Amino acid sequence: MADFKGTREAFAQAIIDMAAEDNRIMFVSPDSLKAMRATKFAELYPEEYVEVGISEQNAVNTAAGLAATGLIPFVGTYAGFLTMRACEQMRTFVAYPNLNVKFVGINSGLLGGEREGVTHQFYEDLGILSNIPNYTILTPADGPQTYHAVKAAAEIEGPVYVRAGSGRETEVYDKDTTFSMDGIRILKEYGNDTLLLSSGFVLDRVLTAAEILKEQGINVIVGDINILYGKDPSKILEAIKKTDKIVTVEDHNVNGGMGAYISKLVVENAPKSVKRIGLTTFGESGPAKEVADVYGFSPENIAKVVAEGLK
Amino acid sequence: MNTAELKRMANHLRLLAVDMVYKGKDGHPGPALSIADIVSTLFFDEMNINPEDPQWEDRDRFILSKGHACPIYYAALSEKGYFGEKIKDFKLRALGTVFQGHPVMNKTKGVDMTSGSLGNGISIGTGMAIAGKYKKKDYNVFVIVGDGELQEGVCWEGINSAAGHNLDNMIVFVDKNGWQSGGPIEETIGSNNIKERFEAFQWHAQEIDGHDIDAIKEAIANAKAAKGKPSVIVCNCVKGKGLPYMENNNAWHKGVPTDEQYEEAVKILGGAE
Repeated sequence: MADFKGTREAFAQAIIDMAAEDNRIMFVSPDSLKAMRATKFAELYPEEYVEVGISEQNAVNTAAGLAATGLIPFVGTYAGFLTMRACEQMRTFVAYPNLNVKFVGINSGLLGGEREGVTHQFYEDLGILSNIPNYTILTPADGPQTYHAVKAAAEIEGPVYVRAGSGRETEVYDKDTTFSMDGIRILKEYGNDTLLLSSGFVLDRVLTAAEILKEQGINVIVGDINILYGKDPSKILEAIKKTDKIVTVEDHNVNGGMGAYISKLVVENAPKSVKRIGLTTFGESGPAKEVADVYGFSPENIAKVVAEGLK
Repeated sequence: MNTAELKRMANHLRLLAVDMVYKGKDGHPGPALSIADIVSTLFFDEMNINPEDPQWEDRDRFILSKGHACPIYYAALSEKGYFGEKIKDFKLRALGTVFQGHPVMNKTKGVDMTSGSLGNGISIGTGMAIAGKYKKKDYNVFVIVGDGELQEGVCWEGINSAAGHNLDNMIVFVDKNGWQSGGPIEETIGSNNIKERFEAFQWHAQEIDGHDIDAIKEAIANAKAAKGKPSVIVCNCVKGKGLPYMENNNAWHKGVPTDEQYEEAVKILGGAE
């Protein structure tokens, strides 16, 4: 595995590594070669690089056609151009025939699209896909996890969506830590006051919040939810039974994402209080850290929400 | 099959299509009859396919982009032998049937791609055609689209991309019957210069009588001979072709024959096998 600095570079490195061993791996680009940092892939594998121009619906359909012949195409571009503009193609021509197409949606969340503004920030992608049968939804927490998520996507039969960012992610995991197929990884177990669940690129903030809380005498469990609506949520169910209170943190609208998923599991299996931190409005342009802080993702605010829930 | 046999087969497929809509009490007979001659020529003369092995890797691919015309598709698959014995009652659109309201890949043998939501067949076909080139297979990809369907923007994304990739293993038939669900195309948005539009997108383009079997065969041969470009064959067709009460009557875009109309269809088209 070569070195890479963010989720997009991680994606490119993963498909380069896979293409070296598997000639079914293709990259379909709706003019996203640069955005996906995949220029090197195109140089190394010109026949496996399919450029279709700025046309996302066409890109998804092209990938469906490739997959229908047994190939494993990855379509990578901005998360919303896939899940919104090409939503119907992702549903009817990929998910319904259960074709082996893999999607990597970048600029996800406020952090992913921070300086670009609302047109390029996507916090609805998971809600959209969670309503479509057959998708496996992977939400890696940083660059290294994205690398392993992209590789895992190729191993999973059927459509997969990998949620990626744009380089503003803070690395949390070691490069060698593979993508857990349990749907959750417990990273801290300070105590049972609250189960603090993170999804995606806010994990570093959640971990910092756990330290702030510890100093205040509040001891939490921190879990990284990395698969939504997976086939086997048993490990997540184990975790949600450990505490009386749960707080979820995600860079997505509070409806339809990880918080909604956990709420469903909780209501059906172990009813208790769930507080969701996430977006309820559109965002705006700005530097990553400041934007995330203003919209409620500062470690201090996360810690405050946890502490208030215990009062 | 020779031309006369293909013509007879086309009419037999028409009868089966009308039969399944009549018995299923739902469906789109007009759009189905419009493309019967193209479908007959493709399935019984042109396409390199094997009903014994529907997933054969080297087979020609077929996408019915105007998926609502599926009764004629289901009829062709049955007559070709995809379901063993020829189907007598398709139970079109019934609960549990493999003959869904629109074609479904992986549910119905011989269906290479799900379709029905208009506009998508050409770009999906480009994916199959690119895969053919990549895998160094010499199969062709055949797509049938409607003239009204070409109003969908994603069609032109695919048309653009197919030319950019020099997909000379792709042949698109446009069923130019002049009608769409809401009325005559001329009165909705107007789109008569279809051949010229494809030419402007750098396609090899021909325009023929879509009910002339020899013309269809010749156009396919020309399309295959045109190297470096995808091909379009604009087919002037009559919606509802074959049944006088249905021809150019857009009430039959979607409609169910009465008992009398069904008897008339049997009389006109029957015994043509």
